[in-house]
Amino acid sequence: MSNIVDVPVGPQHPALKEPLNITCYVDGEQVVGAKLRIGYNHRGIEKAGEYQTFIQNLYIAERICGICGIVHAFDLAQATEHIIGKEIPRRADYLRTIGLELNRIHSHLLWLGVAAHEIGFDTLFMYVWRDREVVMDVIEDFTGNRVTYALVTIGGVRRDLPQEKAEKMLRVMDALEETVKKYKEMCLNEKTIRMRCDGVGVLRKEDAIALCAVGPTIRASGVPFDIRADDPHAAYDEIPFKVVTYDTCDVTARILVRIDETLESINIVREAIKKMPSGPIRARLPRAVPVGEGVGRTEAPRGEVIHYVRSNGTDRPFRWKVRAPTLANLLSIPVMLTSKGDYVVYIADVPITFASIDPCLSCTDRAVKFVDVSSGKSWVWTFSQIKRMYWKDKPCWRERP
Amino acid sequence: MEGEAVIQELIDVLRTLLFPGFLFFVILGLFFEWIDRKFYAKLQNRVGPLYTGPWGLLQPLADFVKLMAKEDIVPEGAIKPIFSSVPVFALALSLFAALFLPVCGPQGIVSFPGDVIVLAVVLTLLVILVFLGGLSPASRYPEVGAERSVLQLLGYEIPLVASILGATAMTVGLGGSLSIEGIVNAQRDWWSILGFQALGFAIFLLAAQAELERVPFDIPEAETEIVAGWTTEYSGKKLALLRLARDVELAFLCGLGATLFLGGPWPGPLVPGLGGAIVSTIIFVIKSIVVLLLLTVIRAAMSRLRIDQMVNFAWKYLVPLSIFQLLLAVVVAPLMIHLLTL
Repeated sequence: MSNIVDVPVGPQHPALKEPLNITCYVDGEQVVGAKLRIGYNHRGIEKAGEYQTFIQNLYIAERICGICGIVHAFDLAQATEHIIGKEIPRRADYLRTIGLELNRIHSHLLWLGVAAHEIGFDTLFMYVWRDREVVMDVIEDFTGNRVTYALVTIGGVRRDLPQEKAEKMLRVMDALEETVKKYKEMCLNEKTIRMRCDGVGVLRKEDAIALCAVGPTIRASGVPFDIRADDPHAAYDEIPFKVVTYDTCDVTARILVRIDETLESINIVREAIKKMPSGPIRARLPRAVPVGEGVGRTEAPRGEVIHYVRSNGTDRPFRWKVRAPTLANLLSIPVMLTSKGDYVVYIADVPITFASIDPCLSCTDRAVKFVDVSSGKSWVWTFSQIKRMYWKDKPCWRERP
Repeated sequence: MEGEAVIQELIDVLRTLLFPGFLFFVILGLFFEWIDRKFYAKLQNRVGPLYTGPWGLLQPLADFVKLMAKEDIVPEGAIKPIFSSVPVFALALSLFAALFLPVCGPQGIVSFPGDVIVLAVVLTLLVILVFLGGLSPASRYPEVGAERSVLQLLGYEIPLVASILGATAMTVGLGGSLSIEGIVNAQRDWWSILGFQALGFAIFLLAAQAELERVPFDIPEAETEIVAGWTTEYSGKKLALLRLARDVELAFLCGLGATLFLGGPWPGPLVPGLGGAIVSTIIFVIKSIVVLLLLTVIRAAMSRLRIDQMVNFAWKYLVPLSIFQLLLAVVVAPLMIHLLTL
């Protein structure tokens, strides 16, 4: 036990596409402990949001994450509509649902490719990403953009889905279903994948609940926790779907949860197109949002995203808070990476274990910690303390009663 | 008389330096890297190297030249003499090993009884170099890579040597010999792979894949785990030489597979005169490419194993199988030949 070396993984490391530091304490090839450090990618998005109008913020929100962009725009719009307190047209709800689900399909396929790359299976990576292009094309056809869709707006959506495009989308969904089933077969039967993923990165059900994991991470630990089912929003209350869970709690379970969810999403898109009512796609809502607080939450591909918005009666938010799913899932990483009894973690398992939560750090990094560099002391300031110390002489930020 | 001797000497030097010696194998190595990349890309539905030269043929060379021109950094804590000499030795050893291959006739440039053993030693020495190259820069990722490479060697060395020795069984009917030349000549009418050696060939392919550190055995340089493994700290000229050494080693191992199991240059040497050498060379290269394509398919069809899984797999399956095939080749096959000829 005396020969423990700390191996830093990140903030620059080929396995991580984004900056984060995992210090692994390694004894030979075994990882005996891990420590996380985030905060390399703080972009000040929330602060930037305070200077822009609600409408402008939608487009900033979309850029919080390059993969699940629509989720953040949707959440912010939802939170804003929550403050205003007006219903939006039903058709817009359905169109938003289609957007969210297409987004989930592309995100899960992207993740499957990345996971394959992490275990050194580049062929699967290339094939999955090739087939993911099909979804990207559908998304472009629907919203006009491949990545930042700019679909959601406050009060509805900005683009309608005409009949012929919907039919094309259905055809693509059929073809896609076949492909995804093929990949499921492959992941279940390919020996080397199973060797690398079975029993790796185990997060037991109790730990998952205690550490507040979200999304596929907690569902792969056997907890049916899905905001779409638990707190139906958009059109999820009218569309039946299954919350996929697996109970082997390892990386294989996370792979299978995501693949099965992709299949569910394909069904949701079909249902949504079938059930979509006709009518307007957007309600005109006031630019200036009344005083109040609003919350938007939805199930992003990675887990639950929460947006909190506080308005002081102007057209700009007084405070905007985003909680991305990776922040909730990060806590379970040290647990997954610690060898305990029969459960042994090897260095080789670190990348795939970390990737299995589908981390997105640029979405996550918004925590600020106050540190006195000279003494190394760190502390936490509450909102009102900061306000008292620094905001006194800034009338534009003053909260209206 | 003296003049003839000088000319003979000169021819030998040219043979070693140009064809079928160093230059030939450097070019063959780069060419094989291109085939490997192109075929790997085809299997993955990509295009692979495309722009440098016709069909991207010059891409490996361009990579080499680019790396040669890059800044060469030596880490501060490195044991500099070892760190700097590993790439040179790796290239030298690979090229040395390649001299034994019977490219343009049943005999390599260097040939003596027992050279098969020398080749086995060279293959192990190459891994020792990997170990030194990983330990000398005093950095964490290379250190892990070096440890892994030696662990991996424990797994595949015995199967590799056993499969090579199994190939020598072909020479039993011809009085027995431990030389490449003997093995090649024994396959004049009947390639080893067509007999009891098919299993040996399969074992050789897997062991060669491990020796070359390619998926599923690219554990010592696993990119997503330990950056570039034991090569992490190498840059510039040293990295260029290491990559070239790897290419030559790839060509060498493919050639060795072709020599031991696919009959080497046969039936090329049947053609008389200079034509025989040319035909032999072409046949040898084609057979090597067949081995290379098999290696590439293995690389494309699997994911990387963990080091413990690799060693487990090697000791549970590869080692017993290789001993079995050695028995088959050395005991059963000669017995059957004996019975058949009675």
